[in-house]
Amino acid sequence: MNISVIYIVITSFILGISSGFIMHRSDFCIAGMFRDLFLFKSVSKLRSLILLISVSMALFEIARLFGFISIYPFPLLGSPSLANTVGGFIFGIGMVLAGGCVVGSLYKMGSGSVISAVACAGLVTGSGIYAEIHPIWAIAVAQTAFLKGKITLPQIFDITPLPVISVLSLISLFYFYGCFRSGMMTRITYADGSIQPWKAAILLSFIGLISLILIGMPLGITTAYAKTASFIESVFFSAHLDGLAFFKLEPLKYSQPITGMPLVGGPGPKMDAIAMIQFPLIFGIIIGSALSSLILKEFRIFAKAPLRQYLSAGIGGIIMGLASRMAPACNIWHLMGGLPILGIQSILFLIGLFPGAWLGSIILSRVVIK
Amino acid sequence: MKSNDVNIIEFNLCGQICPSTLLVALREINKNSASLSNGEIKLLFKTDNRDSINTIPETSRNMGFRVEVEKRGAQYEILVSNI
Repeated sequence: MNISVIYIVITSFILGISSGFIMHRSDFCIAGMFRDLFLFKSVSKLRSLILLISVSMALFEIARLFGFISIYPFPLLGSPSLANTVGGFIFGIGMVLAGGCVVGSLYKMGSGSVISAVACAGLVTGSGIYAEIHPIWAIAVAQTAFLKGKITLPQIFDITPLPVISVLSLISLFYFYGCFRSGMMTRITYADGSIQPWKAAILLSFIGLISLILIGMPLGITTAYAKTASFIESVFFSAHLDGLAFFKLEPLKYSQPITGMPLVGGPGPKMDAIAMIQFPLIFGIIIGSALSSLILKEFRIFAKAPLRQYLSAGIGGIIMGLASRMAPACNIWHLMGGLPILGIQSILFLIGLFPGAWLGSIILSRVVIK
Repeated sequence: MKSNDVNIIEFNLCGQICPSTLLVALREINKNSASLSNGEIKLLFKTDNRDSINTIPETSRNMGFRVEVEKRGAQYEILVSNI
């Protein structure tokens, strides 16, 4: 096997294991952060996510200034359209109903949660369903596109990111200084081996930075869900698969910053760059979380839960999978990658995510959990 | 279950979707608030959800109850009682 391929696979796998381990220990559930804001009027978990975004913002900009980031803005982040907000809205509903986001469902599954495994199966199914509506959705995306050629907020005003990022970093520095001083960032924990969410936020920011430098992109996994759907379809419905335009797309095209290897990839049933980067990341997250729970002797496959909750996880997963292609991309990509460089797509995704999580919380509390 | 003439009502919430564990615990604490306060009963929640291992004690304490957390095998037991 090519040395560049081995390098990418191993790097992604290590990043995945580290993320899975940290997320399991801190229960860094992004779906829960948004859900609890509406369900319990609690911002304490969301604060850790804001910290993660703020630290990533500063780290990414420092890395850019020192020349560690070869492609800026990174590949796959494009110009905005209203589809980003609609996708974020639908994604928000799905992640709350599924009981975890695209990564949350993975690390929970890794620790033995059967209900999260159902959510992951839903994610693959939803990504596959998107391929059926892609031609219509692609027209909607094109018709609602704006600021063509502009990817980040500073690009709209033709300025360097430095002044904007500096101001935002300064504001967050003052905010979090106050939070830490008043003890708002520290949580009383009873679970064995807990990592404080604020520590997890900082560690995950560094993982995002390492991914950006070594892989050339921040963490992202959802195209691999669509790829999994395409592999399954290629076995059972290969003739139908051949007619789906979505699976012929190859949106990922760039040269790997460290090895210089030209990388091309998309959702189709091929072992391409997406498979090389995202599959090891996914397996890494599952294994990292499984390792963490095994070390704590907490790993247990437990399937007993009300049918209503299984349905919610499955439907939530499908909605989330569908939305992650409509948006395009998921919360991890946008919140841990796009937002720190002020990607317009990511800002629009976040705008949709809040009302989506609100609606998801209402459905969850009134219909699912009785 | 009975212990020293105090009824301990058990709830096995393992394997449930987030945040069902906390919501069920909150519902039961509210429903049994009077009996909990006068010491007639204690509520025992069994969970494997790492988030609720922290949120149930936090919320119960805010409601004025005493909480004990114990790890038993792969799961945790959270006992809510009067102070």
